[in-house]
Amino acid sequence: MLDALLQGLFLVLQWTTTLALMLPFIYNMQPVEAFAFLLGMHSVVATTGDVTSILFGVPGEATTAAIILDGHAMAKKGEAGRALGAALASSLVGALIGAAALALAIPIVRPLVLTFGSPELFMLAIVGLAFIASLSAQGARGMLRGFLAGGLGLFLAMVGQDPQAGVARFTLDTLYLWQGLDLVPVLVGLFAIPEIIDLVVRGTSIAGNVPAGRISHGALEGVKDVFRHWQLTIRCALIGTFVGITPGLGGAVAQWMAYGHATQSARTPEERQRFGTGDVRGVLGPGAACNSKEGGALIPTVAFGVPGSTSMAILLGGFFLLGLVPGPDMLTKHLPLTFSLVWTIVLANIITVGACFLLLNRLTALTAVPGHLLVPVILVLVFIGSYTSNSSYADIVVTLVFGAVGYFMVLAGWPRAPLVLGLVLGKIAENYLYISVARYEAAWLMRPVVLVLLAIAIGVILYPAFQAWRARARKEAHA
Amino acid sequence: MHNRASLGLAIAIMVLAGWGTLSALAWPWKAKLFPLVIGIPLFCLAAAEALWIVFGRRGTRQAAADFQLSTDQAPEVARRRTAIAAAWTVGFFVLIVLLGFQIAVPVLVFAYLKLQGKEGWIFTTVFTAAVWAFFYGLFDLLLHLPFPPGVLLEWLG
Repeated sequence: MLDALLQGLFLVLQWTTTLALMLPFIYNMQPVEAFAFLLGMHSVVATTGDVTSILFGVPGEATTAAIILDGHAMAKKGEAGRALGAALASSLVGALIGAAALALAIPIVRPLVLTFGSPELFMLAIVGLAFIASLSAQGARGMLRGFLAGGLGLFLAMVGQDPQAGVARFTLDTLYLWQGLDLVPVLVGLFAIPEIIDLVVRGTSIAGNVPAGRISHGALEGVKDVFRHWQLTIRCALIGTFVGITPGLGGAVAQWMAYGHATQSARTPEERQRFGTGDVRGVLGPGAACNSKEGGALIPTVAFGVPGSTSMAILLGGFFLLGLVPGPDMLTKHLPLTFSLVWTIVLANIITVGACFLLLNRLTALTAVPGHLLVPVILVLVFIGSYTSNSSYADIVVTLVFGAVGYFMVLAGWPRAPLVLGLVLGKIAENYLYISVARYEAAWLMRPVVLVLLAIAIGVILYPAFQAWRARARKEAHA
Repeated sequence: MHNRASLGLAIAIMVLAGWGTLSALAWPWKAKLFPLVIGIPLFCLAAAEALWIVFGRRGTRQAAADFQLSTDQAPEVARRRTAIAAAWTVGFFVLIVLLGFQIAVPVLVFAYLKLQGKEGWIFTTVFTAAVWAFFYGLFDLLLHLPFPPGVLLEWLG
């Protein structure tokens, strides 16, 4: 757990690398001990990654970038304590819901997952993108920019060797780009560099001129926010669980979909404008979804032997190392072990959240440190975090390029969230689109679930327009 | 300023999408399906954004649900400080390539605190030593991360 805490805080090693490095240590362990060891680390890394995202605007993990938008904005307003309290409490609630889903949902989820083929999974990716693109900015112009950013993300995801024909696409004749753009250097550049520039421009601490004593306060308020917005927290946790269950989508998608849903919870366009400037609901949504997806992701891994992500595939390797075969046996012969996974997630999250709360005052005090002391330290962490993705200077070049892109996007008022989601979903979406067309030709478009998902995507796009029309109608009725 | 930035981004995306679409035409269909499905609409959307900026009505800026740059400083001060921040960032990268992380980290921290932060010699030295000890202890001693020595040091042998 200490390893997860350090890793989340210092964005150093790729999480999957650490998980793979830890595999040899489980040879001499009992299955319950082995999974407590692996899953205990894995299930809390997003929680600790939230800390750097909120305090410095530097994503500790690819799965903790969405929380920056409102979490770091709260820190800049002197509400770091409240933001951290909300993030930690919502992630605990999310983890508990994910664990409960793991315990309860296996018999229910099996038929649902089996009805999803490549066409449905492709449409699910499109729904996710439509969701965030339409909700991350105001009006038709904002939506255009949201879709532009999302399209750019999908385009950038094509960089590298194409998985079907082996063609090197958009690699600029460099070997580094053959494997595609690594998510960590891109995210670190896109989010951290504009924050660093802004910190230098302001010439103050992160929390500006807010009195130092006030910054640590409000953690309890953040915890209360979870209960004030309990329906939103639970809904976002369920979104995370569902994304976790769905093969191939992963945690980075879960948090953005939850953020999109949190934005959608605003009743009026004016209320929605508060998102991105420090609305606690923008912290609760991604916080809850990020940890609930772990329980969800274990469902297909344990019950069907189908890992939904790289880390789950490594965990599946752990099953085989211990002589266990995932599948129906896990629900009968090895049921106690399956329940031990549930308890591991619950206990690891309780202990981590408790430890973070103990350190909260010290952590939030960092937002009162003068900017000129923080900037070089953050730069060091950003460059090391980026470099260690592939141990290549090209990683840092990618960070610098995307730092410039992120800065100009912020300057132009373009949302960065759709770009990230497009980049995350691009490879998955291309794969599913290719399989759909190759197998069904155009007939995949007529599958019932595809049509339902298409209707949802259109509904998501039209919803902000409907909301604006309803607000106008109400105003006119009052006048 | 935000309109100029937006126009620049839109044109850059048009160029990128146009280049991507034209390049894709020469590939087998397995490889070009997705680039064409994404590239063509992306080009059209970027063109729409560019046309909107050039010919559209100039209204108030609509903020995205995202981080906003501070507006507390005068524009010329903000521009100068932005250039300074960019120079430090790029300068640190150059230092890393030339000297390697192990030397570039203390050099950056010391130089930044002294030149940018105008801190005293003792504080700067102690702070730099603390950051270097943290860097060396965590990343080198504990995690054994491989940091190359730097081009200049390799050249000097």
